[in-house]
Amino acid sequence: MNPRYPVAADLGVIACETCGLVLTAPHGAGRWRCPRCSHPLHARKPQSVQRTVAWLVAAVVLYLPANLLPVMATKSVLGRESHTIVGGIIELWVTGSRELALIVFIASIAVPLLKIAALTLLAITAQRRSSWRQRERAGLYRLVETVGHWSMLDVFVVVLLVGMVHFGVLASVEPESGLLAFGAVVVATMLASASFDPRLIWPHDPDKPVAHG
Amino acid sequence: MTAKPVSTAWPDAAGPVRPQHAYLVCEECDAVYPARPVGSDDVLRCRRCGATLERGHGLPLNGQLGLTLGGLLVFLIGSLSPIVTLELKGNHTQASLLQATRLTWESGAHVVAVLSIATAFVFPLLMILLRLWVLVPLLRRRPPPLAAPVMRLLRWVQRWSMVEVFMLGVLISVVRSAGVSHLVLGPGIFAYMTLTVLLTAIHAAGLQGLWREISRPAA
Repeated sequence: MNPRYPVAADLGVIACETCGLVLTAPHGAGRWRCPRCSHPLHARKPQSVQRTVAWLVAAVVLYLPANLLPVMATKSVLGRESHTIVGGIIELWVTGSRELALIVFIASIAVPLLKIAALTLLAITAQRRSSWRQRERAGLYRLVETVGHWSMLDVFVVVLLVGMVHFGVLASVEPESGLLAFGAVVVATMLASASFDPRLIWPHDPDKPVAHG
Repeated sequence: MTAKPVSTAWPDAAGPVRPQHAYLVCEECDAVYPARPVGSDDVLRCRRCGATLERGHGLPLNGQLGLTLGGLLVFLIGSLSPIVTLELKGNHTQASLLQATRLTWESGAHVVAVLSIATAFVFPLLMILLRLWVLVPLLRRRPPPLAAPVMRLLRWVQRWSMVEVFMLGVLISVVRSAGVSHLVLGPGIFAYMTLTVLLTAIHAAGLQGLWREISRPAA
């Protein structure tokens, strides 16, 4: 068995998860607040895995309408046409903006799927107190946190197109119901990753010897 | 400084919660390191999980103030002036963030309108204003009023501010609407580009340095 790193619980300290101040851990029961930022102190975020899973379920349920329903409609003298997220990517691709099509594909399709898959993996392994590939899982969590908000891209694109293309009967763009579902997926996955406590990747095992030096 | 228990109904047996400046604790895995000074451009990483433990604050407070004031200026230009001007068969329209959000609201997508105005306008503005709220008193060597709630709100709005994503959204919507009409870029788009760079620099300065200044006893 490899010796482990000394952790906060070994030294009787606790780090405030909001402002980072290191404090002596309170003994016994009681809810304590950080003296600097007055955020409640806990060794792990309460019900972290449950809340992560709840937001993930919401994201998965909304994922289908977000991608199947149209997110916007273009109206012109020729008629009304609905567009889905994938339709917008194909349109960029065939009109020659292949780099932008790739960027939108990554932000709108790949990133939400990556977030849902990664957080599911993190929640399951945390629940089982797994010690499998902990460093890689920590890196995966940081990746999810970093790329998380880029999925909002298509929400901004539709809102901006609504603002840009409004020439009355000649041409106009309107948002459609899929956009609401799409925005909700982005928010739900961001809340899922905010609910997850990365310290759960490293379950505390007080019986294991501590490395020195 | 002593901790305040939330409710007096809890037993008083627990000892006071005191700051422990001898240690540095990894926020992402709980590994403990002895505290040590970090050089101004150094980044200290956790050996166990690879997270950033501490970043040397390369930017002094007055430098942060300059960046933040610059950010406020380009934010106002970017929000008030048109991003693009479009022309179709003699009809001209101008698009800005606020106008696009208003049209989205009027076409019935209320939640989406609120979501985009919050993440591209309200939160970035709060990110600038709350930083000024803390920075200005600190530079005058006074404790900022309501420092703790303001700093916690600042941390929250930083997470949900999406100016850089909005910027890329502008680029993509410009390309997608170019097929429909003739299009001229307005001053707003350049202001937003500058804002993206400034907010990234401000964000990189972090909140740890501000927390340290706030908790430093008055000299």
